[in-house]
Amino acid sequence: MRDVAIVGVGSTQFGRAQWSLLKMMCEASHDAIVDAAIGERKIDAVYVANMGSVRTSRQAGLASALVDRLNLFPAAAEVVENGPASGASAVKHGVQAVASGMCDLVLVCGGERMNEVNAFDATETVSYLSHRYAEYVYGVTLPALAGMFARLYMDRHGVEPRHLAMVAIKNHANGARNRKAHLRIPVTMEGILTGPDAFMNNPPVAEPLRFFDCCPVSDGSSAVLLAPAALAAEFRPKPVLVAGIGQATDCQAVHERPDPTQLPAVRLAAEKAFAMAGIGPADIDVAELHDAFTILEIAESEEAGFFAPGEGAKALERGDTALGGRLPINPSGGLKARGHPVGNTGVSQVVELALQLRGEAGDYQVAGNPERGFALNFGGFGNNVVATVLKGGV
Amino acid sequence: MAGTVDAARCRACARLTYPTHYYCPACGGREFEPVPIEGEGTLLTWTRVHALPLDYEQRYITLGIVELDMGIRATGRLEMGDPAIGRRERA
Amino acid sequence: MTRTLFDWDAGEPLTPEEERMIDELEAKLRPPALPMAPYPPKAITLASGEVMVVRQASTDEVDTMLRIIEPVMWLKRDFFDIVAARLFGELLAWKLHRVRNEYCLVGVVDGELAGIVNGRLVDEKHGMSYHTLTLKRGLRVGAHLFASKMEHHIEFLGQDEVWIVAESPIGHRRWMIEYPLEEKFDVQHELGGAPSWVLTRETYFKAKERLVSGTRPVPEELLARSWPIREPDLRVMLVQVEDLLESRI
Ligand SMILES: CC(C)(COP(=O)(O)OP(=O)(O)OC[C@H]1O[C@@H](n2cnc3c(N)ncnc32)[C@H](O)[C@@H]1OP(=O)(O)O)[C@@H](O)C(=O)NCCC(=O)NCCS
Ligand SMILES: [Zn+2]
Repeated sequence: MRDVAIVGVGSTQFGRAQWSLLKMMCEASHDAIVDAAIGERKIDAVYVANMGSVRTSRQAGLASALVDRLNLFPAAAEVVENGPASGASAVKHGVQAVASGMCDLVLVCGGERMNEVNAFDATETVSYLSHRYAEYVYGVTLPALAGMFARLYMDRHGVEPRHLAMVAIKNHANGARNRKAHLRIPVTMEGILTGPDAFMNNPPVAEPLRFFDCCPVSDGSSAVLLAPAALAAEFRPKPVLVAGIGQATDCQAVHERPDPTQLPAVRLAAEKAFAMAGIGPADIDVAELHDAFTILEIAESEEAGFFAPGEGAKALERGDTALGGRLPINPSGGLKARGHPVGNTGVSQVVELALQLRGEAGDYQVAGNPERGFALNFGGFGNNVVATVLKGGV
Repeated sequence: MAGTVDAARCRACARLTYPTHYYCPACGGREFEPVPIEGEGTLLTWTRVHALPLDYEQRYITLGIVELDMGIRATGRLEMGDPAIGRRERA
Repeated sequence: MTRTLFDWDAGEPLTPEEERMIDELEAKLRPPALPMAPYPPKAITLASGEVMVVRQASTDEVDTMLRIIEPVMWLKRDFFDIVAARLFGELLAWKLHRVRNEYCLVGVVDGELAGIVNGRLVDEKHGMSYHTLTLKRGLRVGAHLFASKMEHHIEFLGQDEVWIVAESPIGHRRWMIEYPLEEKFDVQHELGGAPSWVLTRETYFKAKERLVSGTRPVPEELLARSWPIREPDLRVMLVQVEDLLESRI
């Protein structure tokens, strides 16, 4: 296997798009191509990450359409769908294509335009991830699964509503520094939890989870350009290496898991990615976790091995995961504030980490020249998880 | 929870599963007999969901996971007024 | 009323006769008004920690509000254009006495206009909700102000019903489910279009604890800071509006 490097990254603004899904994807791809300065070299393959375009944008065959708009013929092209983890899955496929020697230059582009339909329709689209006959038919949505998980997890581990609020406050503060984030408004404990008007500011969505415990419904696109590490220096001075990728699956119906407060697919995916990279959680300098719901950031930080079980909330409370902390988590604002264009999220996490490792994250740059990054992209409600380890400073 | 839902009992190893799978998760068997989901259970966790899909006119619905005495868990709508973890519930 | 308003064609002073005629004409055009109880101001701590004062606006403030609303009329997004255009007309009509029993509440954060809601009394017992315009985004200002408007109709103006239609279908479905509103299809709402929905006194009081927030009285010093509404720098504001329109995605 060849080592694979990220030689270019690009991303649109996240939020509510005015433009078509394809136009957003063209922009992100263009930025990545320009960033890599590939000159006359041809892109061999395109992997597109998307979950809902057939329903939300009335467009199928997105990868072929993207090749068409970008004039990348005759590049190979396909869409990778793995729900909210489509992004990391597409990156994985791109890495495999380059590592195997089948391709040299691969473009991975994630894109989702959820706001083309209304909020109810977006919730409906995402709820198709649940088990059709054992969950969906009863009205189960992703927030509902997260709410049930949160209640049990909080009960078992002594996590309190204020811990969830701390995740939101931290990630909103980080997002406010990220020009491309969907939500750029800092929030306070008084405003969302303890103040007299907090109930109205932060109403229940799937109890115990409230408005500020959920990611927004976002549009956005991100792209990375992959190349063999041996060629990477041709394109840019400081390419970032994809050091490890791990993936694991679990039961679709959440109630079938032996312990519904554990996320074994997160643990296994992280273990595999660390094993492949030859490093451990303690070596990580910056992480982007899948905080679609605040409780998930805490649970994942434990399952991925950064903190012992039950210690995630304490680390958060100590400020360890803040931008200036020992292990900054979601310096970009995470899904909570940067936004969650479902199929795109995994690609955007990799873009964010690459920027951090290149020292180009601007106002939300993690101090001390971070060298190793970890991304966790969580599909379904934890039934298909992809972890990625990146190494900078190559 | 609707009274007409079936779990599946593996004809080879008697393992009860809900929802059904193509292969028995315990022995890989492919022959099952339907077993109606019924009886009492304990509430494992629950939520009141306000973020609902299309076609819901209610403000929220209450969902929970119940550990049934018959040996499976099931996700569904809760009818009780004030759910709490550990409370008894009928399927 | 001073004459200068109508004395636009240069210099010639109006004759007493002319003055009298215009007064009478003007008087005919002005609708009689019902007495309306004032809206006692309240303070709401937003998610950001900023404190928004919700208070009644006066007709003196209309010009400032119009200048702020005007560029929003061109924002073709989330029905901002139609809400802004209609609100512009409604506030102007209120200032020039061309609509009966209108009121306007504003949310102000340190002099910055966060949002506007307005409506009017049809008669003593029935209210007509007009518009909700949110200028400060992302902090549920619209929901707070809409709730304040319902509070005004039911609790301070003492009405039994508020008739409501929304310009945005999704917004409407939200209110419908949240409060919940009931059908009142026999009443034609003044904004035209869809048939009316109604919030009754009973549904209001059921929803109040959940949906209406804010603290009274507002400390003197805080209230003072909610006045005057800051004249925005028009250039800065237009750039912001254009940013939204042209936002990169
Ligand atoms: C939380 C949620 C229900 C809120 O939806 P909503 O009530 O329709 O919110 P709106 O879109 O009307 O947004 C209202 C305002 O709050 C902001 N906002 C939206 N979601 C927000 C969130 N989660 N946190 C903070 N602010 C949010 C918006 O920017 C908007 O601001 P503006 O209109 O004043 O500019 C919705 O975002 C949601 O369903 N999130 C979960 C999505 C999901 O399940 N994703 C898949 C997970 S794998
Ligand atoms: Zn079996």
